[in-house]
Formats: sequence, structure tokens, C-alpha cells
Amino acid sequence: MIEGVPSVLNLTEIAEREKEEFGKRVYEVIKELGAERITFCMQCGACASICPLARVGFEWFNKKLIKALLLGLKEELLDDPTPWACVACNRCTEVCPRDVSPFEVMFAMRRLMVEEFAIPTLAIEALRSLYEHGHAVYMTGREARKKVGLPEKPPSTDSDEKALEDLRKILKETKLASLGLIPME
Amino acid sequence: MPKVGVYICHCGENIAGAVNIEEVKKFAEKLPDVVVVRDYLFMCSDPGQELIKEDIRKGLVDRVVVAACTPRTHEPIFRRACEEAGLNKYFFEMVNIRDQCSWAHWHEKEKATEKAKQLIAAGVAKARLLEPLEDRYVELNKDVLVIGGGIAGIFASLDLANAGFKVYLVEKSPSIGGNMAKLDKTFPTNDCSACILTPLMVEVANHPNIELITYAEVESVEGTVGNFRVKVRKKQTYVDWNKCTGCGACLNVCPPKARVPDEFNEGLSLRGAIYIPFPQAVPKKAVIDPEACVSCSGRWFGEEPRKTKDGKPILAPCERVCPTGACSRDEPRDPNGELIELNVGAIIVATGYRVMDKKNFKEFSPDSPNVITALQMERLISATGPTEGKLIVPSDIPKYLEWKKRVEKGQEAELDVRKPKVITFVSCVGSRDERYHTYCSKVCCMYMLKQAMLLKEKYPDLDIYIFFIDVRTPGKDFDEYYMRCRQLGVKIIKGKVGGVQRLPDERLLVRGFDADLGKPVEVVSDIVVLATAIEPNLDLRDLARKLGINIGAEGFLKERHTKLYPVDTMTEGIFICGCAQGPKDIPDSVAQAKAAAASAMSLLAPGKMKVEPLISEVNEEKCTGCGICVPLCPYGAIELVEKNGRRVSHINEAKCKGCGVCTAACPSKAITLHGFTFEQVLAQIRTLAKGGVVE
Repeated sequence: MIEGVPSVLNLTEIAEREKEEFGKRVYEVIKELGAERITFCMQCGACASICPLARVGFEWFNKKLIKALLLGLKEELLDDPTPWACVACNRCTEVCPRDVSPFEVMFAMRRLMVEEFAIPTLAIEALRSLYEHGHAVYMTGREARKKVGLPEKPPSTDSDEKALEDLRKILKETKLASLGLIPME
Repeated sequence: MPKVGVYICHCGENIAGAVNIEEVKKFAEKLPDVVVVRDYLFMCSDPGQELIKEDIRKGLVDRVVVAACTPRTHEPIFRRACEEAGLNKYFFEMVNIRDQCSWAHWHEKEKATEKAKQLIAAGVAKARLLEPLEDRYVELNKDVLVIGGGIAGIFASLDLANAGFKVYLVEKSPSIGGNMAKLDKTFPTNDCSACILTPLMVEVANHPNIELITYAEVESVEGTVGNFRVKVRKKQTYVDWNKCTGCGACLNVCPPKARVPDEFNEGLSLRGAIYIPFPQAVPKKAVIDPEACVSCSGRWFGEEPRKTKDGKPILAPCERVCPTGACSRDEPRDPNGELIELNVGAIIVATGYRVMDKKNFKEFSPDSPNVITALQMERLISATGPTEGKLIVPSDIPKYLEWKKRVEKGQEAELDVRKPKVITFVSCVGSRDERYHTYCSKVCCMYMLKQAMLLKEKYPDLDIYIFFIDVRTPGKDFDEYYMRCRQLGVKIIKGKVGGVQRLPDERLLVRGFDADLGKPVEVVSDIVVLATAIEPNLDLRDLARKLGINIGAEGFLKERHTKLYPVDTMTEGIFICGCAQGPKDIPDSVAQAKAAAASAMSLLAPGKMKVEPLISEVNEEKCTGCGICVPLCPYGAIELVEKNGRRVSHINEAKCKGCGVCTAACPSKAITLHGFTFEQVLAQIRTLAKGGVVE
């Protein structure tokens, strides 16, 4: 594993690695993972101007991530937490003049990271929670609910056996199951 | 007594925003001989002009003063209005209270109002003394000289010739076609350059109204609009063009020591001393480059041939193989060629451009054969190029040519050349650069994208990098080149390359900066293409001096007005088009060429031309014949002549532009500049000196 993005990029080495290791370009992989229009990006920066991640200082926000992927960077980005911080607000999709849907690139990057097992522990916890309770964010405050006379579990998938069963069925059909990241009995 | 009408224009808010119109009006009404003062929102509009015409028709006024904008654009409009209403149009005076008053003093409204008053008073003072003048007409020669046979010169010639005008097309090199003939494909739409250009070249050669004079240069230009006398030097071809059939037999026999870089292939290959510029040349005739010729037979033209032992003359190889005797060295040839004189009514300058040499840019390792200009790249991928369009690294071109020679001789040979895997383009080389040219060369972004696109489509495995400062694709169907390149996976990086380092294996280390990621980047490239600037031809300044037209700060020909007279020059009857006027692409060059042709036509079609009578005239009785005026005249319009036994100045009406230099300089006040007489100008000055009081 390469430790982050180096201070000088040797594009020839990166391009050779693209061809030798993956047999295809990184942007082609990303396209297959859902960001179909990544090559339409002209680096105008509209997406970055409104991206909450960019505003709070995450390094590889939408615009920069797209450029890095187009140049063929991949290994260097796997340790970066930015894609997992994306809140899917989709403002970038609304303002993009080239219909790139930068949000799709963020999510394609997540998929790529999952395939490479480059997932932060927190994300694994979230996936486990999703499988077990139907919520990516673990529900706390059950005692409090009981105190005020509410049922311990909220009236969502968490308390609906049938819905939870359906969700698990769906998740087992996804790539996630084949990766074995979380126990799916 | 003259009856002066004063018409004050608001020019929307342009004048009224700074000048108190009502106050000025009241002031003007009190000026001597002023009978009418009117104001209007836009005096140049139809109802505005009608105000003036109505007063003239009714007999209210017989002198018109319009206080408005600049005479440069609006004087002709108001003069015509006077004429249409039946008044001699030189009974009109224009006062500029906008450019020189309201605009200049926008934040000092009281002072602006005061200045407007004084300017109008001065105008009235002059208007009282105006004289009626009559326009003159001069006969025009309807033939046109077009200088330069590139795409612009070709179109200007064809349009004029098709309209029935006789055209002389003078081209410096042996063939027409210009830089466009060197291009592989052309943006937008990727037409093959030769396919769309060659038929036009043939049409020029065959057109009954076009006299094609190639391998010739303009030596001197005299005369003025409608009657230019142009001396053209036809350079010595050293080949009899009446006999040369363009068969090309001579080309291959020219020996290796007489070979020099081939201009058509931008130096990527060599040509012989005797050469035809390119296979599709028009006219397809050979010339001998005297600088390169080594006189292999040991004799120069007109000298006795050396003899073999058995008494046979020894001929030069080109002479020997020529089937028509066009290359014969028997006759002497004048190295100065032939001087011919042409008489034309108008001249169109379409001399094009040259691309900047890579040698200027030490930081990009110009000594490496694999660092090339974009025009060299065109030759490298062109089917008529040194490798017939096969993409190899330029450092291997000699190997390729050697291989080709062997194959042509029927020998077995293996082609061992390197094909590029990585190509890097560098933008703005010499353009947008204070050290060289500050302008944008306008076509580089597009041709880089075009070349990248063509290369990537043909060789998908090629890695292509384009380093830009800004991507500029402002034209119809242009931006799709940019988007297509991105979709093809061409790596487009914002940031200019700062250095190219030559590696021992003739590859190149390119050092750039990716502004998007904020990091320096490096690429090892097989070929580096420099988008060097479009720059004026070296002899353009000299030609402009001969023609008496201006050169702008960037070194290109200067148009009379950027927006309104884009193909005219400050010299009447001389028009400009194509890249001689500034960097532009083929669509723009053609559009300008057609505009220049149309402008020349509208000037010449009537056969005669109206000339303003605002020129200088000599009072021969007052003239002492001192001759001070003669060298001062910038147009060479004055000469000393003998009249009734004494020397007096004579002003050529056709040449005089009415600048007034002679009038001011004449020590005996013998020269009158009509429309600006001493009395008129002094009346204006006195009025201004007295704060707006008209005597």
C-alpha cells in the first residue's frame, strides 16, 4: 500500500501501472462502478464551491478526486476518508454544467474502496448495523424511549421483522455479501 | 448675413448626463448670427436629422452646427442630411461635446457645461466663415493586386475574379497554397487540408481573370487609390518554366551534398537544390535554389561546359535527366530575375504568418529532434509528410528515409524505428508571454486538441498529455473537440510546462504542474509538441513600409478600425486579410478574405471615386517657391514646378490628404487648406481665447 499522494506525481509511472496492474484506465473502472460521465468533467470547480466536504477541509473532495482519478491515481487515494464523509446532499449534481454527477464519482470511489477492502472501521460498523437493524447509524437511546413510554425500537425496519428480512435478502444479493466484510448468516 | 442653426444632441445620457443642455441652449441662442437652437435625444436618428432638414428646407438656416459626438463617425451622416435638404454639405460644422467634453469631465458638470458653451461658440464662429465646396471625382483602375497566395489570398483573388475584376496574384514562394498546404486535417470538421485546398489552387491557376505570378515579391509601390503603380520582382527560377512540365525527374538526381532542410516539411526532411515545393504545387514547376546548388557539373549558367576526353560536354545531373531541356545551363541567367510593373486600383495584402521557431525556448530542449513544433507534427502525421503519415519519433526519420531509399531500389531492408507511446503538448509557447508575444495566437488550443484527437483515435494506446494555461475553444463546433478529447482519455492538465529535459535515449522528461491537484507532475515523453506562437512574417514590416500602411504593436498589419473597418487600412485602396492582420484560423481567414475582396469591389465597381475637397491649394502669386513644404508632405503630394518663368509649389490633388502640414509651415501663407482656412481656424481660436465671445 502506497502512503497517500506523493508530492511530485510521476504521470508516466502512474499510467504504466494503470496498464500493467489493472489492464485498463482507472477512469474506466470508475465508469463501470457508476460514474458514467466522469470523462466529461472539465474541472470548472462548481461542485467544489458548494461541497460541504471541501468547506470543512477534507482533502480529496469531488473536483480534486475526479482529476486524480482521470490522471490514473488510485492506490494513493485508498486510505483517504473523504468519500465516506460525503453526505450525499447532491448539490454537486445540481450545479454540474457537464452532467458529471460528482456525487456518483464519490460513491463509485466508495465501491472501489470496498472492493479493495479499504474501508474505515466506522464504515464497517455502519454496514453491520445496516444488516442487523436496517439503519446505517446505530440507534441509541432505547432506555430513553422506554422511559417516555415509547416502544424500545422505532416503528421502522428495525421493528418490522418482514422488512428486515427483505432488506437482508437484498443485501445478500449485493457485492457486499461476496466480500465477506460483515457476517451475513 | 449667414443664418446659423445650432443643434445640440443629448446622446441619450452620454452628453446630457454631464452637460446642462438647457443652459447651453440659452447661451447659444445669444450668439451672433444664430437664428435657431434645437436639442434632441439622438440628433443622428431619423427624427433628429429631420429637425435639421426641415429648418434648411424652410429657409430658416443656411449654416449648420451640430454639437454632438465625434466627426470621425458622424460628420458624414450630418453632411448628407444637409445635402439632402438642398444645402452645400460643407456649410456644416461639427462640435464634439461628448468625447472631448461630457465624457472627459463627467464628474465636473458645471465645468463641462461651460466647456460645451465655449466649444459651440467656437463652432459658430467658424460656421459663419464657411465656404461652399464641391466634391471631386477621380478615375479608378479596376484591376487588383493580391499579395500572398495562401488560403486568404486565394479566396480574395477568386471572389474578385469571379466578379469580373482582373487580379494579379503575387506569391513569394514557387507555389501558392501557403501554410494551409502543410496541414494534415483542419478544424472544425477535420477536413483533409489538401482535399479542400488543392482544387482551389487549380481554380486560381486556370481562372481567365487571374494572372498568377509566383516566386515573386513586391519591390515598390507608388501612386494612390485607383492608380497604384507596383513594381514586382520575379525571382530567378534557373529553370525555364515555359518548358518545365513538373515531371520531377530532376528532383532525385540532385546530389546529397546539395540537400538542405525542406521548407514544406518544416525541416523534418531534406530537399535538393532543384525542387518542386510539394507534389500538389501550383504551378507545378521546379526551381533551383542558388544558395544550395553545388554546380556538380562544374559550370554555372551561361558558362562553357567542361568536356570529357572524347569531347562530349559534361552536364549537371538535373540538366541531363530533364526531358524538355528546361534545366539547360547553356544560357546565362540574371540572378536578379525580372522586374515587372503592374497598374492596379486596389491592393489586398494576404501575406500570412510564420510559426515561431522552437530554438527560442532553451527551457524546452529545442536541440532534441523529438521536441517539435505543432506545424512539424502536422507534417509528421500528413500523408504527404516525410514518413507518409506513419507515426514514428522524429529522431528516427533519417532511419526511415534510408529504409525507404533501399526499398525503392529494390533492396531488402528492415525498418527499425521507434513508435511513440507518450506524446506531450505544451501550450502558449511564445504566446501570452511578455518575453515574446503578449497576444494569444488563437489557434493553438484548437490544433492541439485536433492533433490529440486524431492521434488518440488512430492509436488508442497512446498516452497523450496536454498542458494548458487556459483552454480556449470559442468558435462554432469548436468546444466539441475539447469534450471529445476528454472522453477519449487525453489527459488535460491545467498548468504550463516549465521545463523539458532531454534524456540519453532521446526521450524527454517533461516537468509540469497540475493546478487542480496543486502538485508538480512529471511525464516521460517520446515526443514533445510545442504550440509555438503565430508571428508576423519577417519581411512584413518592410512590405508595410513600401505600401504605406501601419503595423500594430504586435507586429501585424493594422486595420483602420477594429470593429467597423476590419479589413481596411489607413491608406485608401489597400485592404488586409488573413494572418497578416493577426492570428486567426482558416474560417476567419476566409471570411476576412471575402470581406477584403468585397471592400475592394465596392470601391472599384463604380469606376470613379468621390474625393473630399478638404485639401490644400497653393496661391501661386503668393508662393515664393522656397520649397519648405515639399519635404514636409507625408504623402509626397507636393513638388516644385516652373510656372510663368518662376518656381512655385504644386499640390497633386489625388495625393493630398488634407493634413494641413504644408499650410501651417508656409512662411508666406500661400497655401490654403479648404475647410480649415486661416480665417476659420483663427476665428475658432479667438472665440475660445475670449471665453466663448464670438467677435
